Amino acid sequence: MSIFFPSGRSARRLTSFGHRLGIVAVTLLGLLALTFFIGRVMPLDPVLSIVGSDADQSTYDQVFKQLGLDQPLYTQFAYYLRDLLHGDLGRALLTGNAVTADIARVFPATIELATIAILFGTFVGVPLGVFAATRKGRMGDQVVRVISLCGYSVPVFWFGMMGLIIFYAWLDWAGGAGRVDLAFDGLVQSRTGLLLVDSALAGEWEVFHSAIKHITLPACILGLHSMAYIARMTRSFMLAQLSQEYIITARVKGLSEHEVIWNHAFRNILVQLLTIVALAYGSLLEGAVLIETVFAWPGFGSYLTSSLLLGDMNAVMGCVLLIGIIFVTLNLIADALYQVFDPRTR
Amino acid sequence: MTTTTSPAAFDSTPQSSAQALRQNLLRNLRKLLRNPLSVAGLVVILLLLLLAAFAPLVATHNPLLQDLGNTLKAPSAANWFGTDEYGRDIFSRLVYGSRITLYIISLVTVIVGPVGLTIGVVSGYFGGWVDTVFMRITDIFVSFPGLVLALAFVAALGPGLDHAVIAIALTAWPPIARLARAETLSLRKADFIVAVQLQGASPLRILVRHVAPMCLSSVVVRLTMNMAGIILTAAGLGFLGLGAQPPIPEWGAMISAGRRYMLECWWLVAMPGAAIMMVSLAFNLFGDGMRDVLDPRSE
Amino acid sequence: MKLPYLLAACALSIAMIGSAQAKTPTDQLIIGMSMNNLLSLDPAGATGNDVVEVNANMYDSLVELDPADTYKILPGLAESWSVAADNRSITFKIRKGVKFHSGNPLTAEDAAWSLQRVLKLNLALASVWKGYGFTAANVEQNIRALDAETLVLTLPEPTDPKLVVYTLGTSVGAMVLDRKKVLANEKDGDMGRAWLTTNEAGSGPFALNEWRQKDVLLMTRYDGYWRSPAKLKRVVLRHMTESQTLRLMLERGDIDVANGMSVPDVEAMKKNPNVGIEAVKRGNVYYVAVSVKDAKFADKRVRLAIRNLIDYDGINKTVMPNYGLYHQRPVQMGLPATLPNPGYKLDVPAARKLLAEAGFPNGFKTTIRVLSDPPFINIATNLQSTLALGGIEASVIPGTGNQVYGAMRDRQFEIIVGRGGGGAEPHPHSSLRSLVYNPDNRDEAKLTNFQGWRTSFISPEINALIEKAEIEQDEKKQTAMYQEIQKLYDQQVGAIQPVSQMVDTVVLQKDVRNFHSHPASTTRWREVSKQR
Repeated sequence: MSIFFPSGRSARRLTSFGHRLGIVAVTLLGLLALTFFIGRVMPLDPVLSIVGSDADQSTYDQVFKQLGLDQPLYTQFAYYLRDLLHGDLGRALLTGNAVTADIARVFPATIELATIAILFGTFVGVPLGVFAATRKGRMGDQVVRVISLCGYSVPVFWFGMMGLIIFYAWLDWAGGAGRVDLAFDGLVQSRTGLLLVDSALAGEWEVFHSAIKHITLPACILGLHSMAYIARMTRSFMLAQLSQEYIITARVKGLSEHEVIWNHAFRNILVQLLTIVALAYGSLLEGAVLIETVFAWPGFGSYLTSSLLLGDMNAVMGCVLLIGIIFVTLNLIADALYQVFDPRTR
Repeated sequence: MTTTTSPAAFDSTPQSSAQALRQNLLRNLRKLLRNPLSVAGLVVILLLLLLAAFAPLVATHNPLLQDLGNTLKAPSAANWFGTDEYGRDIFSRLVYGSRITLYIISLVTVIVGPVGLTIGVVSGYFGGWVDTVFMRITDIFVSFPGLVLALAFVAALGPGLDHAVIAIALTAWPPIARLARAETLSLRKADFIVAVQLQGASPLRILVRHVAPMCLSSVVVRLTMNMAGIILTAAGLGFLGLGAQPPIPEWGAMISAGRRYMLECWWLVAMPGAAIMMVSLAFNLFGDGMRDVLDPRSE
Repeated sequence: MKLPYLLAACALSIAMIGSAQAKTPTDQLIIGMSMNNLLSLDPAGATGNDVVEVNANMYDSLVELDPADTYKILPGLAESWSVAADNRSITFKIRKGVKFHSGNPLTAEDAAWSLQRVLKLNLALASVWKGYGFTAANVEQNIRALDAETLVLTLPEPTDPKLVVYTLGTSVGAMVLDRKKVLANEKDGDMGRAWLTTNEAGSGPFALNEWRQKDVLLMTRYDGYWRSPAKLKRVVLRHMTESQTLRLMLERGDIDVANGMSVPDVEAMKKNPNVGIEAVKRGNVYYVAVSVKDAKFADKRVRLAIRNLIDYDGINKTVMPNYGLYHQRPVQMGLPATLPNPGYKLDVPAARKLLAEAGFPNGFKTTIRVLSDPPFINIATNLQSTLALGGIEASVIPGTGNQVYGAMRDRQFEIIVGRGGGGAEPHPHSSLRSLVYNPDNRDEAKLTNFQGWRTSFISPEINALIEKAEIEQDEKKQTAMYQEIQKLYDQQVGAIQPVSQMVDTVVLQKDVRNFHSHPASTTRWREVSKQR
């Protein structure tokens, strides 16, 4: 080993990295196989989705063959993997587009939503957590605890519907369903697919404004769960720091409480916070499935659900692969952050 | 502990440890009851249990009885929470719905607990390729959002309450297995296990009699904390039309059906939603309190 | 603790940003609808009603049916047409000077090629043509362009030519495609199938700009349209599945037209002075079907009992307003041949008696397969409770259209609540062929497109009459035959019991002018404008 790698430690690190990549590959492969299997036992018939329920049998049989469904299962999976290695995820049966193109089209909408959601979660959750830590055991702490547990307990789809009634129908603060007012649809040329960015780049401030109005409500509701998670984690990280020796020293030195908390304790939990924000970001994909349904958000979640319900397995597999990669990558990033910055693992 | 210990001493060990466990439990319970939030959670859970047990007594109407002449009525003295699109009494449906909720929770827990425990314990105790295989499998499940996976499973199985339960269970066991495995790993080299091994006890016996019981408490805590998540996933599936099917008064499905009338008839959506939230909050409060008590590190 | 304040300020400022009433621009029509069923735009492979409306505005057909009176056939790309004396061929004279969106001139060759393509590709829309006896092999011979302006359809089998002309006016498969444009985009001999799924090659009043599936479809006016350019500059179709969302947006003026709103929302909109409601009858019926393959339902008495256990009045009063109209005949309502409703009623004692006679004094257990959307699921829920009155314990198995009709095609069901019956053509044959006709009841026959076959209900007399009526040239005699079929169907207790005739309800802003929903879904927007 040491012949190939300069020093023992980095060698260990490299092999462990290689090992981990291997695990990731196996995991993703397993995920695909699982989805493929699920797809085949599904009582949904993609052929009927294509030809309609009134087509006659010769049409049905013809499309059945065209989709390769007459091949044995393992052959189909092997073909899928072969194409995958060439970067080809196949065609979505129902849209007629390449799955990669479909995903590239719907994914930015979800990214945009999730990013605003995580910003909301972080910028509300972190102060709440710090606040709770400084009031440990007292009223404030309990209030934050209840708030964050509520965040865990809310059925997001229900909150979305209530939000739509209150903030859109009654108060008229938020935009309705969709990413932007309908009349603005398709007016901005898509560069990044992120409507906020695109409209700002194009200087279309009306569109930008409309997009902000539309995204705020679903993003905040989607971000509730992350907010709760981040608040709780921040609290426990802060508590761990506040009981440390150096905090006591700082207090003894007569630093103001504000300085002690923000400049000393908080600075030390930043890395930990970053890792959990990364993890929370990944889990937003789950809530997106429900929120996108309620808000008619043309994103990844609704694409996945509708493909699933129509039995469009190429599309579903593509989505599964992407979600798996995102989850695994975020986990790797979180791990790496820990390894690099945390003195104990170093 | 080596060969010097007499066999007799071992027979008494589980007894004393069970006793210790009981004392521990009592102490913890007392601690738990000191936290008003956990007590609130516990009270709601107990209420839910009572409600489910005595649903026919509490409900004012037959939850399935349609009355097409009395549809979409606002809350009133006759129908406390109003009526739905078929004229069914929402309060009574909520009351009976508590049974569905409890059914889902308990069934999932009953499946997930033993399965997760067994896989975790076996995997942790034997290590090697058994461990590798099981942990790769849990990796697959953990590296994917639970709701999406449950969605896929239900889509494969076909919609329905029992299918939803199976789907949720399928996605809920990996964290339990991982927990049990971690506990087992820390126990595997413990003196008393080594001692039993030297006694020539079969691995099965060791796992069943000695390892599994030690993992039980943390698994139970974890299961309690999972319950809120189970409720929400089940409601989410019901909302997407893949969970309980009509006319079963499952809360998520009630919201899903009610959303078509949401604007005039807020009670169709607001009531079941509030019920889901309350119960899920109760389980969270209770589970949270339990974790505080059993895991002082999180304080 | 500065962050929370900052945040609060942010939230407030976002909330304060203008709340001006959003009004749609006057030269745009914005339609909110569910685009879940909009899968392929290819006229040969399109399924469902939604695509008919879209394609009716991007393409032209040879003839059109008058939305106000569907018996009236209006000229489209064909200036005129004539039926041969023996009823075996139809000759169309194609209009001169029509240009496709690409600028290519439209000729009879394009029309012939488009129809041939449908049969050669053998996708969804081929069914109806195969029903007339056209096949991929004989179509080149039977559908021919004599010259640039003359198209001749030779009917391979005797049928009612009126029926064929109706089909030309209603089927998406009869839209005329720009042959050169399509062939330029052909891949591996697919006759442009892949390309046409998401693109268009028509001559209609609007041209497709962009289609993002399950999101939005944008069209702009085609200024070279042969009639005269449309009044609207742009049409936007927006994917919205939630009726409540549609309603909110309608109330707020964010959309002009809402398709597929639920009953309570339509009812609520009736009170709104700013919107109008357009209901239009479609050819399909909502029905309760039983599988005669199942031993229980093979017994006529059981089928009759089921017929007595449907609460026609209750369903039509509470569930069906804006979805359907009280109707119990297998022939669509409103045709000269349609008999008045027989007046079936919920009659529990009669049903119980029949069940007891059939050997089920305590009822039995069964399943109802049904689409999980309204009004299907509501009909099924209602049926479930009335069946229970007769002692029949039915569990409801909801599913997507695929699951429900898939099971029906496989003949794997007991009871289905569904919708069907062809019926785009205003002709009894269209309904009967789809709902009743079953020329070969063997499983191997796989006549999956016939709902009659799916239910395994077969009546040789009815079959013979349907075949005879189709080629009867004397209209009076034909009508009498169709009425005879309906009587026979009533006596023999057919497996498919219609409950309601389908109605589509469109809600639109008052300022939208000339929007006429078409019974065959070919709603054309070229005359639509807004007046404020």
